[in-house]
Amino acid sequence: MEFASFIVFFIIACTLSAVLLGISSLLGQKRKIVREMDIYESGVNPVGSATRQYDIKFYLTAILFLLFDVEIVFLLPWALAYKESSNHDFMLAGFIFFMVIMLVGYIFVINSKALKWEK
Amino acid sequence: MLEAMIEILLKTVVILALPLGALPLIIHVERRGAAFMQRRLGPNRVGPFGILQPLADVAKFMFKEEVHPTHVRPFFYTAAPMIALVVAILPLACIPVAAPFEAFGRTIFPEVFRSDMGIFFAFAASALGSYGILLAGWASNNKYSMLGALRACAQMVSYELSLSTSVVAMIFLYGTNDIHVMIAAQTGYWFGFLPKWGVFLQPVAAMLFLVGIFAESNRLPFDLAEGESEIVAGYHLEYSSMKFALFFMAEYIHMIALSALFIIMFFGGYSLLPGMELIVERAPILLAVLQVTSLIIKIGCMIWFFVWVRWTLPRFRYDKLMDLGWERLLPLGIANLIVTVLIVYFRNQ
Repeated sequence: MEFASFIVFFIIACTLSAVLLGISSLLGQKRKIVREMDIYESGVNPVGSATRQYDIKFYLTAILFLLFDVEIVFLLPWALAYKESSNHDFMLAGFIFFMVIMLVGYIFVINSKALKWEK
Repeated sequence: MLEAMIEILLKTVVILALPLGALPLIIHVERRGAAFMQRRLGPNRVGPFGILQPLADVAKFMFKEEVHPTHVRPFFYTAAPMIALVVAILPLACIPVAAPFEAFGRTIFPEVFRSDMGIFFAFAASALGSYGILLAGWASNNKYSMLGALRACAQMVSYELSLSTSVVAMIFLYGTNDIHVMIAAQTGYWFGFLPKWGVFLQPVAAMLFLVGIFAESNRLPFDLAEGESEIVAGYHLEYSSMKFALFFMAEYIHMIALSALFIIMFFGGYSLLPGMELIVERAPILLAVLQVTSLIIKIGCMIWFFVWVRWTLPRFRYDKLMDLGWERLLPLGIANLIVTVLIVYFRNQ
């Protein structure tokens, strides 16, 4: 039942954005100027393709984000379970162990200059 | 069954109408605020104090020519603004605007999607925001757009890490993931005058979260995605008329949703502002109304803060931005989490 309300919300949100897009294509002025349809490149003729090589750092950032984000997401159930658990010593030891592993990885990433942007 | 359907539809319409209705007002406040800080007049011609200017802008967006460039990837080019807006709207489904109250012989939960995982859902949905931007940049097939999209995504994911560490610290302190319980824990006063807001428990986490929402919503000083002096307009360079307006709306709704999450975690959500208890004591029936008012006032303050920062701080350089995210804020967030855990552990000994 609660999920039904979410689906209704989602459908209404999608419809809203589709209607907004539709409005301007219905009401908008219609001209066809060939130059207007060209790639914008500060007024000069476009050179080469847009999907060319880009900096490897963007890729590394995304990969490292995945690793660290998963580690942080693993902490969420731990944070919720801490209050209800009877053995706080064990919970703390697990947390420290996990954080040490995470910190070793983090220090390795920083030391190998994977995220240094200036050359 | 019919009653339930009406309730769902009513809640959906209200939750959607509040931020969408507030959008023109927010844009007007931003433009007038900018003018105020730069000692100029700002829009003041359309209607009293220029208050109708945003409506005139909407009309203009509608009647503008929809340029559909020939070099774009058509499906994703059209889908990207829709994805951006829908994804910006989604977190609003989980944000309660008041405490559950009794009306018409039933308990009404004033949020669209009642779930004990609401807070996680809201964060997950707001993290999807980078998809709209990345798709827009890639589908535009333009170098500036591509660079803007890459930058925006790298920045959003980097700052999400420090933001998540502060969320873990707060969830650990409250020991719950139910938004209503979280807000109940922040109701009341310390020493009789200081509200029990999370910001006083966890100032470092609040700071990390605040920086995180600026980076997530691509606002100055983190608007590298559209750095005008470098990449013209970034990911929405090839968009015009209502498609551009959808990105614009998505950015502002994302701001509202993230501010609401910030307020839930650190400023007591819909809990009453100091002084409002006096009114509730006299007229308990007004409780829900005052809670909605409190939330709206708090979000309004946050929006004004966004505007204020925009005209106060200059834009970062890109490598400094990434350094700040990965080498300052992330270790700070982890240290804050460890210290929090240790303090809680030793206090319970």
